[in-house]
Amino acid sequence: MTQWIRYTLPAAAIITAAAPAYAMRYLSIEEAQQQAFPKAHFTEVQAGRVWKAEAGGKVAGFFVFDRVIGKHLYIDYAVALTPSGAVHSVEILEYRESYGGDVRSESWLSQFNGKTSASPLKINGDIRNISGATLSSTHITEGVKRILATYGGRLK
Amino acid sequence: MADVSNKALRKVRRARPLLGTFVEIEAEARSGADLDAAMEAAFAAVAEVHRLMSFHEPDSDVGRLNREAHLRPLVVHDWTCQVLQAAIELNRRSGGIFDIAVAPILQARGLLPCFDEHAPTAAVTRPDGIELLAGNAVRFRDPDVRVDLGGIAKGFAVDRARDALGRFGIVSGIINAGGDLLVFGGRAQTIHLRDPRDPRRLICSIALSNEALASSARRVDPFRSAGTDDTAVIDPTTGRAATMLAGVTVRAPSCMIADALTKVVMVSGTDADELLTHYDAGALLVEQGGDIQSTSNLSDAINRAA
Repeated sequence: MTQWIRYTLPAAAIITAAAPAYAMRYLSIEEAQQQAFPKAHFTEVQAGRVWKAEAGGKVAGFFVFDRVIGKHLYIDYAVALTPSGAVHSVEILEYRESYGGDVRSESWLSQFNGKTSASPLKINGDIRNISGATLSSTHITEGVKRILATYGGRLK
Repeated sequence: MADVSNKALRKVRRARPLLGTFVEIEAEARSGADLDAAMEAAFAAVAEVHRLMSFHEPDSDVGRLNREAHLRPLVVHDWTCQVLQAAIELNRRSGGIFDIAVAPILQARGLLPCFDEHAPTAAVTRPDGIELLAGNAVRFRDPDVRVDLGGIAKGFAVDRARDALGRFGIVSGIINAGGDLLVFGGRAQTIHLRDPRDPRRLICSIALSNEALASSARRVDPFRSAGTDDTAVIDPTTGRAATMLAGVTVRAPSCMIADALTKVVMVSGTDADELLTHYDAGALLVEQGGDIQSTSNLSDAINRAA
């Protein structure tokens, strides 16, 4: 028979133990491009945002970089589109998340401005695996829909 | 990153939006193994589970079953059949607390979409409502049966991703589907647990190796309660949301079992101990006031300094 063990956590201990933020970088833009369209050649169609992938003299597809707000901070992701404008794949490039009460501070947030996945943030490296209630990826889903509405079938 | 003498290990970590959440996979392999192909296969397995078991997709196995399985037996994918089988057994062993037929209650609460104007207003929670026949055929015994696999499929997807990685000779890794995760091979991994009452905070950490861990919280979405596709935990015996605990975390040999058992423990609390023992699982309960209870088999792995 299972026994239960009770702990009482002093509330203050939880706060001091918490790390302020963490960031996970998965892929650079270049790495994600190669992942989506191996051996393709990429031409920038819209600066820092849309690339055309060509392989063997043919259009292999398009690569769109985007950023949505996650819970408090930005999530960088990329959508690879087929030549006809359908979703080929979606990859998260960089995921950022914060803990504690620092999030509302403008100056604290400003450290993320202008960062690309080529300049990785490593705020707290040792928090790598988190469990808890499931995080929703609704914002990414909405972002992909927006990209399809903007670019799907319109890129040549 | 991790070079061990002359047997170089390569490690890759990727994330994709799947199952309504972020699925992150880390895999470690000796040089020579095709890590990229392994990653693709693992994500493809998760995407396949999503495609088969999404309540939201009318063409998924779940969508077809909810539309037609009361009219005639429908043949579903082997994976769907496996999950239904596990769900029926969990339903029986939990005395009806784990119930995939609570979909109408979730629909009525706006947590799942309604597709037809004749959507049932009450859940049919009879234990024999879902009949599994030979050849992966499934029949519903009542026209008002509607199933939602949201409480179990995410864990199953994690297990299938692990199988996929194994087929490519991956020696160790971790698969994390928005907090439902599995660690295999190699050394123990430290998993930080969010405080379900304030998910910006961490409450403790758990050391995990060759096991799965899943969590559920009273809040539908840890940061934003409205507008998510996530399911709340319903007590099928009352038809109401489980409110006794702020959140629970379950450790089990497979992620499907860990995922499903979180729902039972959310409803039953410490009364779930026999079921946990049966499935070789342990649990950590976070009460509304912040006190934590854990099963004795899990206490050694918990580090309260987060």
